[in-house]
Amino acid sequence: MTGILTLDNVCMTYYTKKSQTEAIKNLSFDVRQGEFISVLGPSGCGKTTLLSLISGTLKPTSGKILLNGNEITKTSTDIGYMLQRDHLFEWRTIYKNITLGLEIQKKLTPENVEHCERLIEEYGLKDFKNHYPMQLSGGMRQRVALIRTLALNPQVLLLDEPFSALDFQTRLHVCDDVYSIIKKEGITALLVTHDISEAISMSDRIAILTERPATLKRMHETNLQSIATPLARREAPTFSSQFERLWKEVSVNAAK
Amino acid sequence: MRQNKYLSPEHELFIKKERNRKIIILSTQIGILVVFLAVWELAAQLHWIDSFLMSCPSRIWNTLADLYSSGELFYHIWVSLYETLLGFAIGTVAGTAIAVLLWWSKFLRSVLEPYIVVLNSLPKIALGPLIIVCAGTGQKAIVTMAVLISVIVTIITMLGGFIETSPEKILLLEAMNANKFQIFTKLVFPANVSTLASCLKINVGMAWIGSIMGEYLVSKAGLGYLIVYGGQVFKMDLVMACTIVLCILAGGMYFLVALFEKYMVKWRD
Repeated sequence: MTGILTLDNVCMTYYTKKSQTEAIKNLSFDVRQGEFISVLGPSGCGKTTLLSLISGTLKPTSGKILLNGNEITKTSTDIGYMLQRDHLFEWRTIYKNITLGLEIQKKLTPENVEHCERLIEEYGLKDFKNHYPMQLSGGMRQRVALIRTLALNPQVLLLDEPFSALDFQTRLHVCDDVYSIIKKEGITALLVTHDISEAISMSDRIAILTERPATLKRMHETNLQSIATPLARREAPTFSSQFERLWKEVSVNAAK
Repeated sequence: MRQNKYLSPEHELFIKKERNRKIIILSTQIGILVVFLAVWELAAQLHWIDSFLMSCPSRIWNTLADLYSSGELFYHIWVSLYETLLGFAIGTVAGTAIAVLLWWSKFLRSVLEPYIVVLNSLPKIALGPLIIVCAGTGQKAIVTMAVLISVIVTIITMLGGFIETSPEKILLLEAMNANKFQIFTKLVFPANVSTLASCLKINVGMAWIGSIMGEYLVSKAGLGYLIVYGGQVFKMDLVMACTIVLCILAGGMYFLVALFEKYMVKWRD
């Protein structure tokens, strides 16, 4: 299998007046086409930095990030970004929020609008098209945020702890919801999280990072692809043993 | 999530209670005004207060009626209103434009910051003589005063709002390949419509301060002119009458701004 996204010896160092901080050091891994991969690491290990690098809003100090073999040098719509909070624009209707990206790109062509309409229809947002975000529940808002990202037809979707602002019940549902939409649209996804069970239940593989400066500690295969939904995977026989192993690996890092 | 068209009896009761509460508040507000005017008038009639010094509602009313019949009332109102509205408009637009510029260029912002801080703290009336020298003794000077007073507050308020726009939302737009102009028009400005509305509300007051203060300094007409004149010849009825007209005008202007705000942020319903 070929990698759609390749990280090759990526290093990132932040400079301030008084000090320099190594956030990421020699990080290399491949993300395969259509795969769901999670990046798991202790808090503050540079996970969000990693996403900024992949999305092209930051440049690595050294090393390369390749998308389909081409180096990422600036932001592009091939990569979609979903943040911790939905960040819907309160003054725009749901429809206007979803088409925001196309509007920015000046790509409001009939085909693209139709694509949006299909997504809106398919994922049950039709009745809310002309509502304002304030009128929607947290889970629904997160779904709108996902559709907004998908409206731009990204090849890779980056998820930055997109469920952390939701309460536990809602989180499990939205997790299933987002997962099924991503799989249905056949999009490659990269999730960063510090929630171990979320990582196991959603991903095909998990990249475990060390604490700062982050580097790859181990690539973990969940082997749960045969089970359809994240919620059901939490019931899988190997779930708790995987959880224990990952938990130890992440905590050993943190304690060091 | 969606509004239910059929109201339960409890809901109707709730709405009724809310409406009653509003009625009580409004009638109390009107009541206070009526009682105040009545006590004032009574005190004057019974000679508890000297109505020559303190005036009284009936004398104010007569003064207004005289001003109206001589055609002076609306002339002076128009003069002051014109100066205020012009000062208000120029101050708001120029202030917002400068705030946009300062948001755009971090360099300019850093350079100009101390100047803005000093200008903000400076009592603008101190610039009175300078304004007269530069803008003459006509309405131009008065409008300049109104602009000076409102523009600095506008810059500070709007720039504060612009800068506090959620950096994550900006990141989101950047990830969509938005340029700085788009970030401003699609996000920073619409996110600050309520900042603009509160700025407009502040500026109603600021522009009136500016125009009346300007009329104190130099003027041949206007409500501020009448107040100064009335004070000098000890016509307290005239002073009071003009003050009340000012209250009505400023209140009306504030009301219009509030209406505008309600229209602009209708998504908040």
